Amino acid sequence: MIPFNRGTNNWEKKMTFGRSIITGLAASLLASTAMAEVKVGFIGSLSSDTGLSTLRGAEIAIEELNAAGGMNGEKIVLVSADTAEDVTEGVKAYEYLAETEEVDFIISGSIDDVSLGWLPRMQEYQIPTLDTWTSYIGIIDMVVEDPELMAPYFMNIASDEALATLYINFGADVLKAKMGWDSVVILAEDTAFGEAITGLVTEALGPVAGIEVKDIITYDVGTVDFAPLFSKAQASGADFIYQVSSVNSQVISSQYVKLQVPMAMTGVNVSALGLEYWEDTGGAGGGISTLSPIPSVGFELDPESQKFVDTYQSKYDSRPKMPHFNGFNAYWGLKQAMAAAEAAGGFEDAAKWAKEMEKQDITLKKDGKLWLRYAFWGADEVEEVTGRTYPHNARFDLTAPYDDAQPSMVVIQWKEDGGVGVVYPPEYATTDFTVPSWVK
Amino acid sequence: MMQIIVQGLLLSGLYALIAMGFMLIFSIGRTLNLAYGAYIMVGGYMYFWLSQQLGMPQVIGFLGAVSVGALIGLLKHRLIVKPLKGDAVAVEIATLILALITQFALVLIFGDASKILLPLIPGVVTVAGAQVTYNILAATVMSWIIILALYAFVRGTHTGRAMQAVSMDEKGAAISGIDPDRINMITWGISGALGAAGGVFFASYTQLSPQMWLAPVIISVAIVIVGGIGSIIGTLIVAHIIGFLEITVVAVLAPELRGVLTMVLIIGVLIMRPQGLFGREEH
Repeated sequence: MIPFNRGTNNWEKKMTFGRSIITGLAASLLASTAMAEVKVGFIGSLSSDTGLSTLRGAEIAIEELNAAGGMNGEKIVLVSADTAEDVTEGVKAYEYLAETEEVDFIISGSIDDVSLGWLPRMQEYQIPTLDTWTSYIGIIDMVVEDPELMAPYFMNIASDEALATLYINFGADVLKAKMGWDSVVILAEDTAFGEAITGLVTEALGPVAGIEVKDIITYDVGTVDFAPLFSKAQASGADFIYQVSSVNSQVISSQYVKLQVPMAMTGVNVSALGLEYWEDTGGAGGGISTLSPIPSVGFELDPESQKFVDTYQSKYDSRPKMPHFNGFNAYWGLKQAMAAAEAAGGFEDAAKWAKEMEKQDITLKKDGKLWLRYAFWGADEVEEVTGRTYPHNARFDLTAPYDDAQPSMVVIQWKEDGGVGVVYPPEYATTDFTVPSWVK
Repeated sequence: MMQIIVQGLLLSGLYALIAMGFMLIFSIGRTLNLAYGAYIMVGGYMYFWLSQQLGMPQVIGFLGAVSVGALIGLLKHRLIVKPLKGDAVAVEIATLILALITQFALVLIFGDASKILLPLIPGVVTVAGAQVTYNILAATVMSWIIILALYAFVRGTHTGRAMQAVSMDEKGAAISGIDPDRINMITWGISGALGAAGGVFFASYTQLSPQMWLAPVIISVAIVIVGGIGSIIGTLIVAHIIGFLEITVVAVLAPELRGVLTMVLIIGVLIMRPQGLFGREEH
């Protein structure tokens, strides 16, 4: 009995052991299936309207994708890393997402300088990354020069060269032809963004729009007293001021209004891109116009974009009340990144994912007309106006009637009564460009 | 040239107002109050909250800001400076931390984004080709009124003379029957009120932001170091030197160099005349 029993016990033990292994394996298999997830990392400022727009656009896209079954059946989760709009913090944030969180994909709401800071890390880790705010053409140049190294990088906002090019058209059509202005003084912040826009505008305003650049005044981003700068701009004898301001932009515009500077001012003012601009300037922001990527405040939305805004506004009750353009870019871009990953079998092979990402194309129509298009330029596709390629950059159209894609930007203007509308190009305009009442 | 003179005069008046409270504490309390910027910041935000968000009259907003500034000054003296008396480094570190805590608290309450304070007196006038707001004119006039009142107070009242005595020799003042602790407390209260008043004008001239405390502290340190300890007139003159220097640099050289020459001036004075241009020698 004893041997038998012992044998039986051994057999039973072996069976039990075997069952345990099988059960364990099955359990771990089930667990791993249940636990499988795609991890998306957000990099950007968690306290700025810019950063929050991208973050929230990504959150809404992920919720909708998960409700529809996730990515290849895997749940999509989001982790975030704060850059505080600081270059060093940005590098640390990217390293955190790559090394600690081991994310599959990164969506960025970083400003230009911060993106330039973490870009070498992206090249090193080769994590598929989508920039929704940075527009620095130098990054697209890097894609042109080293497509293999830069394969995981995509920028779904028109690069600043395209933004500036369309602005030159605005200069020729409106500032020169309609307003009769012949000269400009550029008032630009000392950042990579400021330098890029200033360079592009300076090179093209004279030869294309026939507007002479009288002077370029560069100021530190910490500047809070613009009175002497405006005096210097007036002393230049120019007809109008072209401002380039992405940091603390409400300060320059509100001081322009408070001082009632007797020159028109237009250009790039990032604070004016959000609905909070009027409140942030205490109402001292009328007359300011800025070029804006699309969609902007005052921009008529197609039904799909409006649906996104409705979802956004029902979900979030804190600022920004309406997502900035990069919120839309994050929403559609994240969906495109996941669709590309589904086609590529995941994010692991960045080059394969990039090939699928290049094919993504979403067209949104309004009243039967192409209104917005989320797509990318082909690697060898030459844009007609600028005569160059824009691989991995958002597709844009620089010539009316904008039937291939939306224009690279629009010009919006805040009126003295607090209203805001698009003033250029005419196909998208909702109001006329005017100068403030105190400018004669 | 006239634009430089006009803008220089206006900016200097504002700087003098801002630096006066810092000078008082540095001269009488012998404390490098790095949290001085917190008065300026709290003053600006308090005015914003009362007058712009709650819609109260501007006078109420201004008085509220000054009162809160004075209260913070008194509390700081009671809760931090007095317990740490004698340990200058500990006081400096504690005041710096307090400034940072104030910054974080304001971020929590008002958010991180900059806000624009509407002018106390709206309107613009063109003087010698320069656009001058009534607001900065008011700030300059107010700053002169406050400075003259402070001068009269220090020179003409018993408490003012006691403040002078404590600033010169605290032990000697105590032997003469002056209560240095009481005088210090009054000084901290006045300093807080002056800082908050300066903060309202500074914020309405520039912006409101949780980081706005740093620039006025640097300006104040520069003015007091160059002007010298214990000199209201010195503070006034150096505020004008620095104000004009900044405006001239922006107009003639480059805007990026705005604060650089001020820093050079500080280093030069520290090396050549450590007691400052108008300060007395310490023994």
